[in-house]
Amino acid sequence: MMNSNIRYARQLASFTALVAVTLPLSPVLAQDAALIDAAKKEGTVSVYTSTDAEQSQKLQDAFTKKYGIAIAYNDVGTNGAYNQVISEAAAGQVTADVVWSSAMDLQMTLVKDGYAQEYASPEAANIPAWANYKNILFGTTVEPIGVIYNTKALTEDRLPKTYADMITFLKNNKTELQGKVATFDPEKSGSGFLHHSNDARQRKDFWDLAKAMGDDGAKIYSSSGGMKETVVSGENVIAINIIGSYALDWVKESPNLGVHFASDYTPAFSRLALVANNAPHPNAAKLFVDFLLSQEGQSALAEGGLPAVRKDATGGLNIDTLSKRVGGGLKPIAVDEGLLEYMEPTKRVQFLNDWKAALGR
Amino acid sequence: MNVQTQNPALAAVGVAHAHHYPAKMPVVGNARLYRIVVIGLLALAVLTPVGLIIYQSFLTGPFFSPRAALGLDAYAYVFTDRNFYKALGTTAVFAFGMVAIAVPLGGLLAFLITRTDIRYKRLLEILVLVPMFISSIVLAFGYTVSVGPTGFLSLAMRDLIGIVPWNIYSLTGMIVIAGLSHVPHVHLYVSSAMRSLPSDLEEAARTSGANIWQVSRDVTLPMVLPSIVFAASLNVLLGFETFGIPLVLGDPNGIMVLTTYIYKLTTLFGTPTYQLMAVVAVVLLLITLPLVWMQRRLLRNARRYAALGGKGSRVATLKLGRNGQLVALGVIGLWLFVSVVLPIGGITVRAFVDAWGEGVNLLDQLTLANFARLTEVPSLVRGMINTVILSVVGGAVAVGIYLLVGLAGHRNHGLSNTVLDYIVLLPRALPGLVIGLAFFWVFLFVPFLTPLRPTLFSLFIAYVVVGLSYGLRLLQGTLIQVAPELEESARTTGATIGRTWRDIVIPIVRPGLAGAWALIMIIFLREYATGVYLMGAGTEVIGSLMVSLLTTGAMNTIAALALISIVLTGAGLALALRLGARIHD
Repeated sequence: MMNSNIRYARQLASFTALVAVTLPLSPVLAQDAALIDAAKKEGTVSVYTSTDAEQSQKLQDAFTKKYGIAIAYNDVGTNGAYNQVISEAAAGQVTADVVWSSAMDLQMTLVKDGYAQEYASPEAANIPAWANYKNILFGTTVEPIGVIYNTKALTEDRLPKTYADMITFLKNNKTELQGKVATFDPEKSGSGFLHHSNDARQRKDFWDLAKAMGDDGAKIYSSSGGMKETVVSGENVIAINIIGSYALDWVKESPNLGVHFASDYTPAFSRLALVANNAPHPNAAKLFVDFLLSQEGQSALAEGGLPAVRKDATGGLNIDTLSKRVGGGLKPIAVDEGLLEYMEPTKRVQFLNDWKAALGR
Repeated sequence: MNVQTQNPALAAVGVAHAHHYPAKMPVVGNARLYRIVVIGLLALAVLTPVGLIIYQSFLTGPFFSPRAALGLDAYAYVFTDRNFYKALGTTAVFAFGMVAIAVPLGGLLAFLITRTDIRYKRLLEILVLVPMFISSIVLAFGYTVSVGPTGFLSLAMRDLIGIVPWNIYSLTGMIVIAGLSHVPHVHLYVSSAMRSLPSDLEEAARTSGANIWQVSRDVTLPMVLPSIVFAASLNVLLGFETFGIPLVLGDPNGIMVLTTYIYKLTTLFGTPTYQLMAVVAVVLLLITLPLVWMQRRLLRNARRYAALGGKGSRVATLKLGRNGQLVALGVIGLWLFVSVVLPIGGITVRAFVDAWGEGVNLLDQLTLANFARLTEVPSLVRGMINTVILSVVGGAVAVGIYLLVGLAGHRNHGLSNTVLDYIVLLPRALPGLVIGLAFFWVFLFVPFLTPLRPTLFSLFIAYVVVGLSYGLRLLQGTLIQVAPELEESARTTGATIGRTWRDIVIPIVRPGLAGAWALIMIIFLREYATGVYLMGAGTEVIGSLMVSLLTTGAMNTIAALALISIVLTGAGLALALRLGARIHD
């Protein structure tokens, strides 16, 4: 009796263990197969994005090769993506399946306003917790924000090590840097606004930095590439708060160009993906998001120069190797409601007014 | 603007003595219905997006949002915004400064080319138009590479004299560049007026001992003054609408004009504030209306002026003499160097290197990688193919449409023609970005149009409307060359007006149509702002791809695309020359 009881208990235990192992697994696998089937039937997925086709071509090719599903790739910019999504929804003519954009705040706004649908991607478990907002908005990359400089004008040893050092550096070299400092224009560039306002949220001394840039007669630009052009040509000596992952690629080819990250604080933004509400190809959309977050997709992104948010991505930088590369101070911008803080008009206008005052404009 | 090129004698009669001869066209048999239908359809195509923008300006949110209500909040915001007035002031200085440069130079060029025996006339006629065919965004980039603070010419200059004596990143720099690149717009209008001037007055002055400059100042200038004022007012309009030059050259130093102010409104509040953009667009429209009205008045006077000379006689050219030739060709050469060679040279250099500037040896940087990369990205390849289709096929269809409209306005002096004059210029007054956005909405929200949105057709319609003022002018210029006697004799012998057009007018203008096609092709090729919102996967076009790439700053790709677009434009121009485009009249 005793024995059989124990045996029964053992059997039960092993059975529950088996169930515990297989249950969460098998439905996922089943769903996967069904999803792939349904997605293939849909045959195409329409992606609205701000990522240049050049950077994501490897990802697109890998996806289409694997599933035979065509990607209608709409590189319409951050504002274009947002505008098209809300306009299409209002007209009842939704063509967007996946929205994949670097404007983290606009993406969160789309979620908050009900333009996205929840999707529990089986791959979501493999990305950091900060990169998954309620299974509805997913971080796909981690792209550090840093500094580029002209190596003919500045030697590496002169570059400030920490965020605070940068403020001192700008103050102490006013004559040398006058009119030769570049930074993002938060009024014209959504990315610029995100970079600066995130710093303002994270760092008390952000306004000291802004003031120091203003004292150096900083010029403002609406793209990282535009700033790179001026730094390589020697028109500017240093550009602050540019997209560092682009810069890591640029320095390989451009002479005169160096890239630098503060060792204590390197914020990083992420390209966020969501499945659009009423997406005409919902299964293909989900499959594409799965692929974006999968080891294979993440590796394809990394290969194209967009550092992966997954640790196990190969072919380029991933979150771990990137963290080492930037000196350990990596601070990814979390995908949470904090992103909406500056979407509130009065706060936003206040920020921009403070910014203009600091820059002396 | 359409009557600018009319045979002066006829035009004068048509307006000043309409009640004498020719007798007023009869209502019946004058294709009145056709005219009304065509002009009505055109008005619909133009006024739908324009009306949408005006409506949007009176709302508190996007027009499609359930939360949007009627209100003047947007006007209140814009009209109390310090930055708006700053931008308005800068725009005014910019526009008038530009005119102050473009008009005298354009007038001078027109005089040299139409009234004197300057050499290489045939070639010059085409060359002087080239700056007009380069989109201002490409132009501005080209300049940064050649004469920017570390441009190759600036660096050479600095090696030579120690400093760079110019700064293109300033309001003055922007005005000079915009002024020089708008010379063709003035030249185009003034030269057609000069062409129709009889030369007997100039000859009389010359034989009584006046030198060539006295002739031009005291005889030619007063006669074409109306057309100069007309060209000036048109260029003020273009100055208000310019986007590429202020974006590239003014932005980094915070010099803002109305169009870049609108651009800023897309991001200023995080989410796009369409109502504010619409208000600024309405302001631009309001500035246009009095300009059109003034132009129409001027034209009436222009006809009277021209009529003074009586029937047009053979135009004899003034002799420049050896030194005169040298000076004239020198001036034109210098201008062409600054406004064509410098920007195109800059773009060409940039397209074949990865880096440039101080301490960079361009020869070390030479590469074809920028072009190789283009071919690897399907959307860029599609962009090139689409651009060619839109310009070549779309351009041809557009000529057909402009011809239909041109016929509707041909020898028509009724109310519908007044309507035509106004609606033609409206799209020109709006920034391309805004009109493109409005068309995007039209194709999204008008039920039977929605299937067209993801096709090149939506871009085509937007292009036709945006290119209307230039295209129609070309066609009207061609149509007016048909001597009225031919049409009158056909009508007298009993032909209907339709038959007259089919058997007399169109066969005569056919060679002109081919030339017009080549020129429209070039205009469609250089278009960039209009397609930004309209293009999607499969309907990419080069110009809009460049704007989209600008937001990430992929300069290597932009430069390569820009050079390709210049090469295509060159091919279009060569074709235009072969087809014998009659650009001037």
